[in-house]
Order: sequence, then structure tokens, then C-alpha cells
Amino acid sequence: MAMKRRTTILVVLGLAAAFLVALWKPTVLIYGVQQAGLYAAIAIPMGLVLGIVHIVNLAHGEFMMVAAYATYFACRATGLDPLLAVLPSAAVTALLGWVVYKLTIRRALKAPELNQLILTFGIGILLSQGVNLLFTSQTRKISLEYVSASMTIGELSFGVWPFVFVIVATAMAVGLKLFLTRTTTGKAALAVGQNPRGAAIVGIDVDRTYGLVFALAMALVGGMGALFLTRSAIFPGVGGPFTMKSFCLVAMAGIGNIPGILGASLLLGLSESFLRAFRELRGWADIIFFVLIIVVILGRSLKGRKS
Amino acid sequence: MNRNLLRLAAALAGAAAVALPAFAGAYPLQVARNVIMYMALAITWDMLLRSGQISFGIAGLFGIGAYAAVLGVLRAGMSPWLSIAFAAAFAGAASFLIGFLILRLRTMYFSIVTLALAEIFRIVIHNLPEFTGGPEGVVLEGVIMKGSASGLYWLTLGGLAVALAASWGFEKSRMHFALTAIRNNETSAKSSGIDIFRWLLVAFVVTSSIQGLLGGIYVQSYGFATPDSVFDANFTLLPLAMALLGGIHSTIGPVLGAILLGLAAEWLKLRIPYGHLVVYGIIIIVVILFMPKGLYGLARKVSGAADRRRA
Amino acid sequence: MTKLKIERLTRCFQGLVALNDVSFSMEEGEILGIIGPNGAGKTTFINLVSGIIMPSSGRIEYKGRDITYAPAHERARLGIARTYQLIHPLENLSLIENVMVGSIFARGNGLKAARRKARDLCAALGLENLGRDTSKLTILEIKKMEIARALANEPEVLLLDEVMAGLNSDETRLLIGMVQSVAKERCLAVGVVEHVMGVIRELTHRVIVLEAGELIAQGPYEEVSKNPRVIEAYLGGAA
Repeated sequence: MAMKRRTTILVVLGLAAAFLVALWKPTVLIYGVQQAGLYAAIAIPMGLVLGIVHIVNLAHGEFMMVAAYATYFACRATGLDPLLAVLPSAAVTALLGWVVYKLTIRRALKAPELNQLILTFGIGILLSQGVNLLFTSQTRKISLEYVSASMTIGELSFGVWPFVFVIVATAMAVGLKLFLTRTTTGKAALAVGQNPRGAAIVGIDVDRTYGLVFALAMALVGGMGALFLTRSAIFPGVGGPFTMKSFCLVAMAGIGNIPGILGASLLLGLSESFLRAFRELRGWADIIFFVLIIVVILGRSLKGRKS
Repeated sequence: MNRNLLRLAAALAGAAAVALPAFAGAYPLQVARNVIMYMALAITWDMLLRSGQISFGIAGLFGIGAYAAVLGVLRAGMSPWLSIAFAAAFAGAASFLIGFLILRLRTMYFSIVTLALAEIFRIVIHNLPEFTGGPEGVVLEGVIMKGSASGLYWLTLGGLAVALAASWGFEKSRMHFALTAIRNNETSAKSSGIDIFRWLLVAFVVTSSIQGLLGGIYVQSYGFATPDSVFDANFTLLPLAMALLGGIHSTIGPVLGAILLGLAAEWLKLRIPYGHLVVYGIIIIVVILFMPKGLYGLARKVSGAADRRRA
Repeated sequence: MTKLKIERLTRCFQGLVALNDVSFSMEEGEILGIIGPNGAGKTTFINLVSGIIMPSSGRIEYKGRDITYAPAHERARLGIARTYQLIHPLENLSLIENVMVGSIFARGNGLKAARRKARDLCAALGLENLGRDTSKLTILEIKKMEIARALANEPEVLLLDEVMAGLNSDETRLLIGMVQSVAKERCLAVGVVEHVMGVIRELTHRVIVLEAGELIAQGPYEEVSKNPRVIEAYLGGAA
């Protein structure tokens, strides 16, 4: 109930912001939506893990970074297009995720939440510093022609490629929704997320489900890593900010509310794009997620005090 | 008997620490200063952890203190000494405001907001170039005490003394009971009359002030501040790894961990210029999974078992 | 004298009514039993009075003062103390330090005074070896410690949530005697939630019966236990 209302509010706010921005400067809207797609596509897997395994994966962005590096070197060696590497990269990251789950996270599930936070923080450091150790902090990029494809409508000219993130994010949200409500495995995962003990009683293998969900989320993030590489330069620290922003989006949507992440991303993407439209304010755009999370938190604590 | 022995050991270690400049050269003194700085940060991180709240915001508050000190001198004409006190006060005031907003949150929400702090402060500094010097940072006219190696060492040691005194104060006062009760079970803590929010706020402000103070000392010892140098993630990562390795929920644990890891860090830094921090990631993971109470906890367990066997 | 006055207290959990329109009062020197089948709202009631959860509607008055929405720690200071069904001794604190907490925070005593008072309290309840780690206590000792922790608040209203559970009959009898003498000595208004009817019969002066969140009967145990509605509630719950 509350979840649905929050989704509606976020979507309405997002759309209202979109409409106002579109009236004023259409390119701001376009960039905002594209950025929102990127944020959502990275945040949705985190929302999945948080909603079902109940773990904040502070190494979330680092997994994406590792996938991007793997893709980079594979493409460099074979001359393959990163786009073709999306599925292999997803498979490799899924495997990595599964191993990390089995070796570490599984052992910390029963420990206090404190330990889990520190654990995934450590995993994040291990991944980013491991990459730093192996490949130095030099930035790397693959130049692709189709990425700069642009489109002109009247006086309006803009890049088309980043819309792929919007498509991917929407596909993820829809796909996960179908997976969680229509398939046996998905239903089991949902049941485990809501009540692990109850799910165990009816015969669901909770540990296996957690491992599966974690691997699935890492597969999605891994695929995103390859896709991210098509457009952006990568370096060991490239994933970190996405961890924080993803968490912010998941928290805004409410844990377990995957469609809400789309709305929250739209709000964040548009606000950032709006600020970037002003030369003097451009540098402040990266602070918005923090403002949003503080506002959401404050709103919730005020509401909590009333009830 | 045992306790007196410990006191004697602590007194000797303290005396040795104070007297170190008499026999150590410039390089060992520099290493010692780093170890001491991280040790103090590790202690303050642990102090808040005793309430069950994990802060990833050490670098943020350290950096805010550093900038407060530099700008206090450059923009308000403070003396270097006053600016260090101002750093503590400013970090304390900032943490009071932040804590007021976020200490109603628990566990992951609190932790992640603190994780963002360094990034947020860095953006603020970047975007106010006229006042803060922007991405290039600012340079002071000189280093405090004219850069005397032993002077700077003693100054840093002073920062550690503040952290140790505060930590000891926490352990010996009502604070100890408040934080332990909150960590164990907030519901039953409330029923014992503990105003959880208030105690957490006090603990957060005290630890943040000390982190700011250390930032002030750091920046006065080097004479410059850039966003990248004072908000460096190492200021979060190293203290955290040190406290975990040494043993959390105590004063001695972080001290132990800082000595071990601080010395190891110096060695690693020379060996592996890129990515030596990977070691800290591994240490954090291994400690959390296999000995969550750290070395001190392990030692206590072993000695406890030995005591039982004797009895 | 009336210590606690409950008026039309109601609490819903997401549409489920856990406590519905319950009114009664607790008197000084009186031990009140709160009984009812599982899920009747007994623990919800204790949580509401001690401020762990807030009511959906209704009013709680303590010594004439409205505390309906007062935070839990404030109620502890005013003089309402409770025990928990699942007892979590504070790790890293010794037995006596566990007991000191209430004295320090609910009464504002210094550490020395708190230690002294905790020592007296423990002695009164027959707890010994006060420097011990709490992980090595017997069940009876844990129960006594939990009561001592609540009494360290120096309360006027004491709520006991199934303190007798898990004890054998000798231990139960011992603890009943202790609760009675403590209540008398300190003129407490005591509320007792308990499943074992024998305990309720021996310990309480009066009982209230909850069923599905509603108060269905009150009066002395002997009288209430003959009430057909109460018998039906229990048999219905058992069947």
C-alpha cells in the first residue's frame, strides 16, 4: 500500500519535473532521462539484493567496474565490440558474484548487520585496489563510432546512444517483475525475501536462493559494466559513486520496490541535468543525491514520529 | 597485580613515545607521526562503534577539520594554534547538524550517509574556489613551529593523547553504560531510561571533533590542503582496518592494530606504489569473517581459557 | 491511589486490531494479572504502557499525567519499568553493571551510587557473585537480574512479561514470594503477564482477561475463572 503510494508520488514528481524541464530546455530533459536510465540500470540490481538477501552490497559499483575492466581487456585482445561482450561479461560477473557469496557473504548473513556492512566495504576495497594494483589508476576507454550517433529534430540535436540505458533499465524492471511473480524460482525468491524462516519451513532452499539472487544481480551489474564501457572511460574508482547513488535511489523508492527505482532515478537524473544546464551551478550536480536522501530520510523520520 | 603491570607498561610506552625524538632520526619520526595519526583516528572510530553505529565518515570529518584550520588562518587571520582548536570546534558543529539529521537512522542508512560525507564535503570545497582555493587547494605561509621534526611529532602525539583521554573517559563513565546498552538492545535501553538519540549525538559530536582536531593538526604539519589530500579515502580505510584487526570495542585494540598495520603500511608503500591498499581490503574481510573481535579479543579468549584451565 | 489509568486504548497493526478499546486502572500496592490466550494483546499492552510502541487511539495517564505519547525513556524516568519476555543481558557488562543501567539513566545516579544501590537490590533478590559475566548465569539468576534491572529504575509501576516462564515449581514459588514482598515494600502497582494460571492465582489480587484485543472480564481470579466467557475463550483458544 504505502509502497504503491510512494511509487506513484515518485513517478508523478519525476514526470512533473520532466514536463517543466521539457518546456524550458528539451536537451536538459533528454540528458536527464538518459542519465536516469544509467542510474536505474545500476541501482535495480542493488535493490534486488537488498530486497531479497537483505544485504547492502557496498561493493556494488566495484563489481560493475571489474566487469568493465574484464570487458575492456577482452575487447582489446580480440577486437570484439563491448556490446557483444554484454552477455559473456554478465556470465563472468555472475560467477564472481556466486563465488563471493559462497566464500564470504553467506558466512556473514547470521552475523550482526554491522559485520555485513564492513565485509562488503572490504570487498569493495579489495576489488578496486586489486584493479589498481594490476592495471594502475590510468583511465582507459574504447572509442566506438556508433556511440556518437546523434539525432536532429528541428533545432534540437542530441546523442541517441545513451537511450540504450533507458531501455535496459526498463527491461530490467519489467523482466524482474515477471521473474519474481511468474516463475517458480522467482516466487520462491520473493518468499525468501519476505520471510526466510517461513520459506525454509515450506521447503525452499534459502541459502541457494540467496546465492542465486546475488549472482543474478551481479550478472545484471556485469552486463551493465560492459555497456558502461561503450560510453565512459574507466578507472579503479569509477564504481564507487554508483554504489552510493544506487543506495540513495533504492532507499528513496523503499526497499523491495523495484519499479519505484525508475521514478527515483528520473527525479535524480533530471535534477542533475537541470543543474548542469547552468554554468555556475554545474559543479553542484553531484551533491543532489545527498540532498535527496537527506530529504527522504527526514520526511520519513517526521512521519515516523507522528504515527 | 595484573592491572598494575598493565599500568606500568602503559606508562613506560607513554614515556618512550614522548622521548622518541631524542633517539630517532627524521624518517622514523615521520613514520611514527603517521602511525600516531591513524591510531588516533582508529580510536575515535571505535568510540562510536561501541554504540553499534558504523561511521564511514572519518575522512569527511578529518578533511573538514583540515580545511577549517587552513581557512581559519588564511581567511580569519587565526594563529596556527587557535586554528587547530577551531578545526575541532567546526567539525563538532558540523557533526552536530549532520547528526541531528541522520542519527535517527540506524545501521545501513547511517553508515551510507556517512560514507557519502567525504564526497559531499569535497564537492563543496571544489565549488567555492574563491573561498576554499577549489581543486588546487590552498597553501599556508609556513608549517607550524617552523616545521621542527620533534615539535610536529609532539603535536601529533598531543592529538593522540586527546583521543586516548576521550576513549578512556568513555570507558569509565556513564557513556560506557549508555553505548553498551544501545549496542546490545535499543528497546531495553529505552526501558532503562536511556535517551538513545541524545547519547548517540554526544558520542558522534565528540568523536567527530577529535577527527576534526586531527585534521587540523595534520594540515598545520604539512602547510597545505587540497581536496584530494585531506579527504583521501585512506583516512577512513586505514583506521577502520586497524581497529578491526586490533580488536573493536576497546582502547587497546585500535592502538595495537595501528602499530601493526601502520608499520606494515610504510613498508608496503615503498614496495608497491599502486594498490598496496588491497592488503587492507583483505585484512578487513578476513578479520570480519574469522575473528570479529580482532587480535585483542583473541588474546583475551586465549588467556581466559588458560585461566580456566589453571582454576 | 490510582497509579495508571488506561482509557479506551486501541492499537492497530496494518489493519489488524491488536488491542481494542481497553480501559482499566492499576492501583498502588496491587498486583494485577493480565491473562488471555495467545495473541490476545497482552504483550502489546505492556509495549503500549512502557512506550515501546504508540497507541492508535486512547489515553494513558500516569499519576494524573498524560503520557500517551511520551517516549519510552521518559516513562522509565517517571517511574514505569518493565521486564522483557526474551531477556538480553548486556554483553561485556557484568551482572551488577547490568543492574546499574536503570539506576544511572532512569534515576540519574552517579556510577558509585548506582553500584551501591544495585548491590543492595541484588542482595534483596538473593543474587550473589555480582562481578560475574552474564553468560554464565542460571535461568533463575537471569530472571532475577531482569527484575533487578527493572527495579533499578525505582519504579512505581512494574510490568512483568512472563518472568516465570522456564522456571521449575520451586523456583517459581521462590520468585512469586519475592515479587510479592518487593511490591509490598515499595508500594508498587504491578502488572503481570503470565501463562501459568497457578502463578496468577497465587500472585495477583485482581486479573483482567483479554481476548483478541478486547477486555472480556475483570475481577479477582477466583471469580473470573468461573466466568463462562473466559472459559470459552480459553477452550476456544485451546481447540
